[in-house]
Amino acid sequence: MVYSILNEHSLCHYYDLNQNPGINQRIGIRKDKFAFLDDAGIIAKLISFKDETQMRVSFHLPQIHCSSCLYLLEHLPRIQPGIISGKVDFGRKQIDIIFRSDQCSLRTVVETLTSIGYEPYISLNDIKQKKPAVSKSMVFRLGVAGFCFGNVMLASFPEYLGIEAGDHALRSLFRWFNFALAIPVLLYSAFPFYESSWKSLRHRFLNIDAPITLAIIITFTRSAYEVISGTGSGYFDSMTGIVFFMLAGRLLQDKTYKQLSFDRDYTSYFPIAVSVLKEDKEIPVMLPDIKPGDTLVIHHGELIPADSILTKGKAFIDYSFVTGEALPVPRETGELLYAGGRQTGERLEVLVIKEVVQSYLTHLWNQEKKDPVETDKGSFVHFVSRYFTLTLIIIATITGVYWQINDPSRLWPAVTSIFIIACPCALLLSHTFTNGNIIRILGRNGFYLRNAGVIEKVASIDHIVLDKTGTLTVAEMQDIAYDGIPLTPNMQLQVAALAACSTHPLSRALAKHFPLPGRPAVSDFHEYPGQGIEGIVEGRHIRLGAQSFAGKGMTGTTGTTVFLSVDNKVTGRFQFNNHYRENITKLLSKLSRRHQLSVLSGDSNAEKERLATMLPHHSPVLFRQQPADKVEYVRALQNKGAKVMMIGDGLNDGAALRQSDVGVAVAEQTNNFTPSSDAIIDGNKLPRLYRFIRLCRANKQIIVASFVLSILYNIAGLYFAVQGTLSPLIAAILMPASSLSIFLITFGSSSLLAKKMRL
Amino acid sequence: MQIEKFYYDNKIVKAFGLATIVFGIVGMLAGLWAAIQIYYPASSLNLAPTTFGRLRPLHTNAIIFAFVGNASFAGIYYSLQRLCKARMYSDKLSWMHFWGWQAIIAAAAITLLMGKTTGKEYAELEWPIDIAITIVWVIFGINMLGTIIKRREKHLYVAIWFYIATWVTVAMLHIVNSIEIPVSFLKSYSWYAGVQDALVQWWYGHNAVAFFLTTPVLGLMYYFLPKAANRPVYSYRLSIIHFWALIFIYIWAGPHHLLYTALPDWAQSLGVVFSVMLIAPSWGGMLNGLFTLRGAWDKVKEDPVLKFMVVAITCYGMATFEGPLLSLKNVNAISHFSDWTIAHVHIGGLGWNGFLAFAILYYMIPKMWGTDLYSKKLATNHFWLGTIGIILYAVPLYWAGFEQSLMWKSFTPEGQLKFQFMETVNSIKPMYITRSIGGGLYLVGALMMVYNLYKTMAKGSFVANEAAEAAPLVKEIHAKKEYWHRVIERRPVTLLVLSLIVVAIGGLIEFVPTFLVKSNVPTIASVKPYTPLELQGRDIYVREGCYTCHSQMIRPFRDEVSRYGEYSKAGEFVYDHPFQWGSKRTGPDLAREGNKYPDSWHYNHMYDPRSMSPGSIMPQYTWLLDNALDTASTPAKIRAMRTIGVPYPEGYDLQANKDLMQQANNIAANLKKDKIETPPNVEIVALIAYLQRLGTDIKAEPEKNVTTTITTNK
Amino acid sequence: MSVIFILLIVSVTVAGFFLFAFLWGVQDGQFEDDYSPASRILFDDPALTQENNNKR
Repeated sequence: MVYSILNEHSLCHYYDLNQNPGINQRIGIRKDKFAFLDDAGIIAKLISFKDETQMRVSFHLPQIHCSSCLYLLEHLPRIQPGIISGKVDFGRKQIDIIFRSDQCSLRTVVETLTSIGYEPYISLNDIKQKKPAVSKSMVFRLGVAGFCFGNVMLASFPEYLGIEAGDHALRSLFRWFNFALAIPVLLYSAFPFYESSWKSLRHRFLNIDAPITLAIIITFTRSAYEVISGTGSGYFDSMTGIVFFMLAGRLLQDKTYKQLSFDRDYTSYFPIAVSVLKEDKEIPVMLPDIKPGDTLVIHHGELIPADSILTKGKAFIDYSFVTGEALPVPRETGELLYAGGRQTGERLEVLVIKEVVQSYLTHLWNQEKKDPVETDKGSFVHFVSRYFTLTLIIIATITGVYWQINDPSRLWPAVTSIFIIACPCALLLSHTFTNGNIIRILGRNGFYLRNAGVIEKVASIDHIVLDKTGTLTVAEMQDIAYDGIPLTPNMQLQVAALAACSTHPLSRALAKHFPLPGRPAVSDFHEYPGQGIEGIVEGRHIRLGAQSFAGKGMTGTTGTTVFLSVDNKVTGRFQFNNHYRENITKLLSKLSRRHQLSVLSGDSNAEKERLATMLPHHSPVLFRQQPADKVEYVRALQNKGAKVMMIGDGLNDGAALRQSDVGVAVAEQTNNFTPSSDAIIDGNKLPRLYRFIRLCRANKQIIVASFVLSILYNIAGLYFAVQGTLSPLIAAILMPASSLSIFLITFGSSSLLAKKMRL
Repeated sequence: MQIEKFYYDNKIVKAFGLATIVFGIVGMLAGLWAAIQIYYPASSLNLAPTTFGRLRPLHTNAIIFAFVGNASFAGIYYSLQRLCKARMYSDKLSWMHFWGWQAIIAAAAITLLMGKTTGKEYAELEWPIDIAITIVWVIFGINMLGTIIKRREKHLYVAIWFYIATWVTVAMLHIVNSIEIPVSFLKSYSWYAGVQDALVQWWYGHNAVAFFLTTPVLGLMYYFLPKAANRPVYSYRLSIIHFWALIFIYIWAGPHHLLYTALPDWAQSLGVVFSVMLIAPSWGGMLNGLFTLRGAWDKVKEDPVLKFMVVAITCYGMATFEGPLLSLKNVNAISHFSDWTIAHVHIGGLGWNGFLAFAILYYMIPKMWGTDLYSKKLATNHFWLGTIGIILYAVPLYWAGFEQSLMWKSFTPEGQLKFQFMETVNSIKPMYITRSIGGGLYLVGALMMVYNLYKTMAKGSFVANEAAEAAPLVKEIHAKKEYWHRVIERRPVTLLVLSLIVVAIGGLIEFVPTFLVKSNVPTIASVKPYTPLELQGRDIYVREGCYTCHSQMIRPFRDEVSRYGEYSKAGEFVYDHPFQWGSKRTGPDLAREGNKYPDSWHYNHMYDPRSMSPGSIMPQYTWLLDNALDTASTPAKIRAMRTIGVPYPEGYDLQANKDLMQQANNIAANLKKDKIETPPNVEIVALIAYLQRLGTDIKAEPEKNVTTTITTNK
Repeated sequence: MSVIFILLIVSVTVAGFFLFAFLWGVQDGQFEDDYSPASRILFDDPALTQENNNKR
């Protein structure tokens, strides 16, 4: 069906749109994998709307990646007639489906999606109360401000371009027109500034929005006075313009990544429901309803949601994401299984001993909370603005006193002009525009920041703590070295064929290692969990496994080793090493120039020597680190006064990521879950981290440079203002001139710098 | 709710498409003919309807409203249905729109050739047709909005925004600019006078280019270019920004057509500022179009549709770069009134509009006939012929415009004008010839397209109703929950309304009285309304389209003042309904023509221009010598003028013809002195009266022969 | 130049209309997804090609 849809659409066309359509055509899913979707309680939590005949539901489909996906998914009704429509939001990788509840069930919908290779990512997080949609009010405010600014500017031009004073009616029309248009800007668009300055005042702290609020209100009042009294045209264009530009800067800075979330907790890692064994039947139960004493059924690839005891089956638990151990660990019946591990292999039955919220992993998660003291108080811009405001008030006072003595009639024009011209908006503009552009540049390069504040934090760090598995190494990849009697191509094929029969991670890695076509058939295949595999390939009896399993003849070394025996004779061994990311050594040496480095690993110390060669000799490398140890390590560094950046990928690093000053989560395309963090980095782009940090450092310099420039404008403006001779024209020239030059400097220099750094 | 099956209406698209082809050829033929007349005046056949002054409005109207208009409608009806996943709202309205529009075009062609014109460029059509346009436009609007409302696709693709903007703004522009007072069926006067009329006219004129020739076509580009290239537009976000920026800036760029004229300085500068700002969104759009084809240039090599589009978009970029350039005062000083402007608009017309129209025809017709294009090779040949045509058309005209303008401005070391006007004309005649060859090639290319499309239609079979299916839109669900939220978000609108009230209270009281009492155009005491005969003569001037070749606006430049006389003042035009400033000086300026030559010179000149001015390219106006003047219309004309504020005394309409005959007799007597025998009640006499009046009021001592003005009757 | 009153009022009215349209568009979420719509228009519905062919 999929094929026919794509074919109808004409296949060539389909390939035109995307060179590698690569829809993951998964083979057979477990029949009742989605049985939990028949549960009315779960359905009610998942769907967004229902009436007598139809239901509406949104799913996250991480597999969406090209226009063909879009095409295929929007033609769901053709595959499953019960579906009325499917609408894809490409940026969010989300599909909005409406289906007829009398013709098909939610389960059918999900199974349909899964069958064409788009298995929805349904996690425990989905049953939580949905967050309200992103507020559009900023866009509204910007739109209104932009409209008003444009029209005010238009109506101000005649005045500047020398409309004859004789054209009295026309001139006052334009003035009143501006007045009217400034009102929505004052009352609506500029509202966030009032709100923020009010908040800061209540905390007895003067942030940058306070003087801005003052400037806006003074400018408006003075302008309104001029228009009503007929003495002048006011500064409405400056006022609306500045509000517009500042809002634009904020919007730019508040860039959000629709497809990323920086606030994920364990719930988006956990499934929404699991199968509970009751009277020999598997019944789907929502995760929060799991109680100690329940027996759960865990299938291949599924997560162990709660701490439990293995009661049936051979467990191979992949804890790489939770503890950082690279290889799945075998567990025997009766052993304790911690939550968060993923079973690979056969079906398990486990007895729950702790509720989900009480489990080790959840506990780990909730254990530490970073101090919420950190507000934007420390931010450079607010620091500067305080002095700015102070200076401004002093100048205003001096001017006021001076004119009070010499010419009281010029007192108010002069004082108000000072506030009009010397508003710190230039500072705010340079701040927001630089931040905005840098966030954008970093985002384009695969380094996504939670917000603009992170830039300054990244710039200030002096110690970088790195996780090993999944961060320095690629979790799913192994380097395989062979040692022993050389393998003929034919032998390689035979080994690969045997390895391909097993789902054990080492076997799979081995099978992948010899990607040769035309593998021979394997007969008499046997798998001995925890030991190895054997089989007859082209008449040869081949064994792969532990030393004890393969037979005598060779000794092992440190690390993970698989022995190969052919016809009961050990012929060689495969050495499995972690696969480090490309250029990682270079990155580490570059980072070490300005930062202390530490590596923490949840793994055994098999890689110790190798790591030591990669790192500067004094850098600590610690192994077998539990999540709590990592947090402790970070905290100890912080207590010594270090600013710490923690880079990690798994849940095991989650707490440390939050404890650190900047937590950077490493994301691979293959998993769409990243623990809560300040920034997310695309795993492939990790080697560029050094440049990212440098760019964040440059951020401050750019802001300072453009700020100095705006000070010059301010001084020029103040020159007129203190004399009380600031004409609207001068204000109107200075305002866009300074805004524009700031815009150009910040954008230009940050983009130029990025280009220089080849970002 | 179930998936709905419905049918796209292809028949209406076919109708508009065929109309595009037919009127395109007609419009181009008219253009070619007019172009030939410029260097070979005899080709006017000495017939009034086929003389340049009437042919040129026919050409512009046919191309703008019939060719590009129908092409836009065809494209809109095709794409809107598919973008909305819905059939047009009402078939009946579709057909009313189609036949209404074609009837308007037919009426326009007839009336324009008859000389029924308002004398305002691109808005020449007389009032009954203006009303018809309004009605048909409303029908189109209902049909389009209806379709949008009953759409099955929630998202309004950016092209639809362009269509909506087109509809709204064109409606506004048309209505505001067409406010006129009817004198009779097929005769009216513009409500505005002089400078004001000029401002409204060019505010309209520029925006007509913007919203009739640009926004709908951009919408078409955003639909047909991705479709033809089979790849999404380069940046959809950019296209949205492109739209909003264009909309908010375009409106105010109009006054740049009036640089150095009697328009107030600040208004001129305003036009310049906004014109320059326009570069940004225009180029954003162009780059978005061209980048869409990045990595698909191999397709462009093969597909004539894409070839046409690439050149069209490039031409759009060129024209939108050149436009702001031309609006700069120092460039405009050279380019204005010269052939440079003509070259500029034809880059837009032939390149952007023409080529994009060809592209969508080549795209839609094979689709609707379910077949492939009859001959790609022929289409490619059309493309090359058209491209060469554009180059041969534009390059000589740029050259001509530049050369002639510089010649106009040349002085001898002694401070005398270096060239007579006639010399400048003679020097650019070869360029005029080359231009018409370029236009001819372009037309031949279009004829090849006609053949190609005809064969394509014959090859395929037309699907009048194309089946499609889609689910209807679901009502938004969370409306209830977020009610309070929406109240807040409605606030900006509320605030806007409030601000408008502020304007009403604070402002209206102050300026409405002023507005009602008098216009602020500086008045010049010696400027008086036209006499009845002059008024009749002026109407003949308008009828024959003299403004298409002669300006009446002396700009404050040294050369213009020494060539034509004192520069024009705003106060001189207060009784000009409509203004006749013109936009092109194929012949010399006439603003101060009065009393330059004797009456007999004009008489002979109209009979055979070359007898008075050897080498002239002006056509003969022999019929003016024989046609009797329609004096029966005089009272109605005077009454209409009085209604719109021209200070003829009350009851003057009844004695106007008496004054008229008196003045006519004087002129006839004058002519007789120069041995020309003519009855006083022929059109030439009225025209001479008008020409002799031009620009004389401002002179300190009015000449004796224009003393027969109404002031004596007071 | 009283005509400027008219032009101003008319232009601002139209601009106000567009502002309204813009705010409506934001409210309606028209500008939220700036990728999918561009691709979506490329997909003609071929489901009924057969029927359309038969009609010929």
